[in-house]
Amino acid sequence: MVATAQRPTANLLDPKVLASLANLELVAKAVVEGFVIGLHRSPKFGFSQEFVEYRAYGEGDDPRYIDWNVFARTDKTYIKRFLGETNSHLMIMLDSSASMGFGSNGVSKLQFGKYLGASLAYMSSRQHDAVGVMVFADEVIEYRPPTSRSGSLQGVIHTLDRAQPAKGTQLNHPMSRFQERIKRRGLVAVISDFYCDTQELLDNVRPLAMQGQDVILFHLMDPGELSPNIKQSTLYEDMETGHAIEVSPTFMNKEYHERIQAHIAAIQKTASGMNADHVLINTGEPLDKALHSYLTFREKRG
Amino acid sequence: MSLITPLFLLGLLGLALPWWLHRLETQTTEREKFSTTRFLEASKKRIHVQRKLKYLLLMALRMLFLALLAFAFARPVFFQDPTAAVSEDTTHHVIVMDTSFSMREGDNLEQARSIATSIINNMGDGDIASIYAASTSVTTIAEPMPDGAELNRLLATVEADNGRLDLGAMISALNGLIEDSDANFIMHVVGDFQQSGQAVRFADMIPDVINGRPVTLDVQQVDTTVHANWTVDSVIIEDRSTVIASIRTFNAAAEPVQKAVSLMVNGEAQQTQTLTTIGNGVFLSQFDNVVFAEGDNRVNVSMSPQDTLAEDDVRYTVFDNSPPAPVLLLTSDPASLGVTYIKAALETAPRGYQVEAVNIADLDMRVMQRYPWLIVDDLGIVGTGLEAALRDYINGGGAVFAGAGPRSGSLTALPILGNQIDAVAASTRPAAQQITQIDTTHPALNDSSGWSSVNVRAIPFTLTPEDRVLVAQSARSPVLIERNIGAGRIMLFASSLDNSSSDLPVKPVFVSFISEVAQYLSNEKLLVKEQVADSFLQLTLTGGSSGQVVDPDGTSLLSLEDTTRDQDVQMNKSGYYQVFTPAGEVLVAVNPDIRESDLTLIPVQTLQSWQSIVAGTALETTNTLSTISEVSETDQDEVELWRIFLILLAAMVLAESLLGNRYLNMKTGSF
Repeated sequence: MVATAQRPTANLLDPKVLASLANLELVAKAVVEGFVIGLHRSPKFGFSQEFVEYRAYGEGDDPRYIDWNVFARTDKTYIKRFLGETNSHLMIMLDSSASMGFGSNGVSKLQFGKYLGASLAYMSSRQHDAVGVMVFADEVIEYRPPTSRSGSLQGVIHTLDRAQPAKGTQLNHPMSRFQERIKRRGLVAVISDFYCDTQELLDNVRPLAMQGQDVILFHLMDPGELSPNIKQSTLYEDMETGHAIEVSPTFMNKEYHERIQAHIAAIQKTASGMNADHVLINTGEPLDKALHSYLTFREKRG
Repeated sequence: MSLITPLFLLGLLGLALPWWLHRLETQTTEREKFSTTRFLEASKKRIHVQRKLKYLLLMALRMLFLALLAFAFARPVFFQDPTAAVSEDTTHHVIVMDTSFSMREGDNLEQARSIATSIINNMGDGDIASIYAASTSVTTIAEPMPDGAELNRLLATVEADNGRLDLGAMISALNGLIEDSDANFIMHVVGDFQQSGQAVRFADMIPDVINGRPVTLDVQQVDTTVHANWTVDSVIIEDRSTVIASIRTFNAAAEPVQKAVSLMVNGEAQQTQTLTTIGNGVFLSQFDNVVFAEGDNRVNVSMSPQDTLAEDDVRYTVFDNSPPAPVLLLTSDPASLGVTYIKAALETAPRGYQVEAVNIADLDMRVMQRYPWLIVDDLGIVGTGLEAALRDYINGGGAVFAGAGPRSGSLTALPILGNQIDAVAASTRPAAQQITQIDTTHPALNDSSGWSSVNVRAIPFTLTPEDRVLVAQSARSPVLIERNIGAGRIMLFASSLDNSSSDLPVKPVFVSFISEVAQYLSNEKLLVKEQVADSFLQLTLTGGSSGQVVDPDGTSLLSLEDTTRDQDVQMNKSGYYQVFTPAGEVLVAVNPDIRESDLTLIPVQTLQSWQSIVAGTALETTNTLSTISEVSETDQDEVELWRIFLILLAAMVLAESLLGNRYLNMKTGSF
């Protein structure tokens, strides 16, 4: 793995820097380009544009890649395939529950999730993958089916950009909707803080794995959640329920830390149990860890 | 500036309280939003003391509030030179004329008028004066005005009455009458200043400080000569035929004085006797074999030659020569001890009753209707027929007082009442017990003193919800109960009316108790038929709630409309008031208060002290206006600052509330 601190473009992966870029599409481009520049050119990761073969045009394929010369000669529609192209589907599921609005370092988890989702979409789009998006909280808020058509990337990014923190997290309804609509095998990236029961996660994500989807869970955690540091008793108000509770510094610095680590471990264990990848992301850190994890995951599953 | 009660400044120690409280702090100071509280656990609130003080402005407000409170209780005053105020503001001359009965003596009233006229005529430019007549009550003769002619005209209408002047009550009434004025007051009290008019507490004679300015007192005594006085202070009728008149002398020389004492009954001269008095004391004159008419008799005793206060040389009284009211007493033995006790008690009652003891074996039940109430000495002797007759009698509005003698103890239930008797307990003859509970609100138990020493062996019986327990030994041992049945009522004494089961008949309280029971059950109200002037006559006490009252001059006091209503009529004339009610005619004799006949004067030194304490000036028997002004200028007016402190305290409370609420609102931010 390449150390991000040594790369000259590493600051473009810093969430705080990205937050200054108002355009999410620009963010995605900056992230991916910066990330790619930092990588060694390697066919293993499939980012070259070298021609490999022709393949018959199928429904959902971008007509831009039809080789019209071949069509003129053979009267058949073929599209070019390039090295590293997998022609698979990526479904980005972004949790926009109220708890995702939490952020202690200037960038909320939802904002980070948007950057990550947009970057994944951009990266996949470059590889001609069909990209879809579902924004959900306790129900599906916005849904865009996977497609590789021209302009679909902008649509996905705009859908992500519109997401606002609202309500609580419930996976069952969005997941069942997802299963109803997506029948084709592909990649599913769930971006959430996973403040739900592990059993609920298991019940809702396992059917996806059974369906043949390759699932990666991007578990976003704010630094303030991972290691809070308070000097005096604080009255905390739950962003989802509004319930307030007074907590002592002693508890937050010790018992809470143990509890949150136990929860992360439980989520990790659950993901492992259903053959899904779990990536814990500290939203205070740059995005390259997430992107790297995604490429590893994609390479492993593709 | 000075403090009247500086000890209250110790309250300043309370300033430490907010200082300490503001060092205390609960743990919760911040309120923040958090992604989820599912992993959090509530901590216990703990209070700890920190070195740094919080909310300094709020603490300062609270400390200031406490400091103001302590200062307000310490009553700070500052002194101002009254001369400047007097020269700038209006001077209000409050002229108080003593119009009590003693002012009828000699030319006291004329002298008083002359002094008051002098005060009015010497008023300064811009001064105002008001005139009040002080006797039993204080009445306004002239409202504050600068018009001397009008004041003199109203002054001429002032007349002496039959009331009594108490200087303490007078000052108290004047405080209320003049408290709303903003002027500087000079209170001129013009009168004879009898010693009997002095207040029991000297402090009651000190006028209030009004609007921050003290009242200057000017005592104007009409005559400093002490006159001797003879008065008829009481007339007593004994044995319905003997009249004893009591003649009292005040300030008389130790030499014989002969007085002709005359008795008149119902306007007719009866007898005249010569009485020799020597010095001060009480001298009696007795008239025998006087014949009175039935009912109320006007009896008055007068003496001659008259002295300088002639109006108290006659005494009016009323003698009620009505026959005793008959009371039916049902008994199985008219010669029993219980009957004797009841007879003795009723016949010595103030109203006078004639007890007619009847053996129930000889009773014609129809006669019961002639009596407003009757007595049954032992409810156990009442048979079935008599029980039904008594029940009808009570239902019709009659009243019964019954004892529960030995015959009652052998029954299973009380006749008429029906209460169950505890036969087992009754047969064991428990020891007599003392009375522990008395319902003193009941009219028949007004005089409850003495009941606590009474021992009673009561018949045990169960109570019903309709029973009102008046006297009891405990919650379950009633001794005297009352129950309303129909339009009437029955009172039961749960023991015998002789001294076999209770010592009540041999206790002094028995007479007053039986008397009050008789008065209560017969629905009579006692009217005092001889009263002092200016007292009030309650028409309800005369036997009717409406009627007409005719004063001694023959004037009807009530209008036609007033005669239909319950009225309290003030009797301010000496003589006989006739009260005509549906229940009949009643006479009430009215005489001046005997204390007004004592013409002994308050010592000059006392009057000087009074005036000095109030205004710091010496007594002058002549017009003292100039003297008073000069002396009062040397004084300084005390102005209390509590009103200012009160306003500041109210402002502090408001500011503290607003600031406190502002601090209470917790900050809400994002984490």
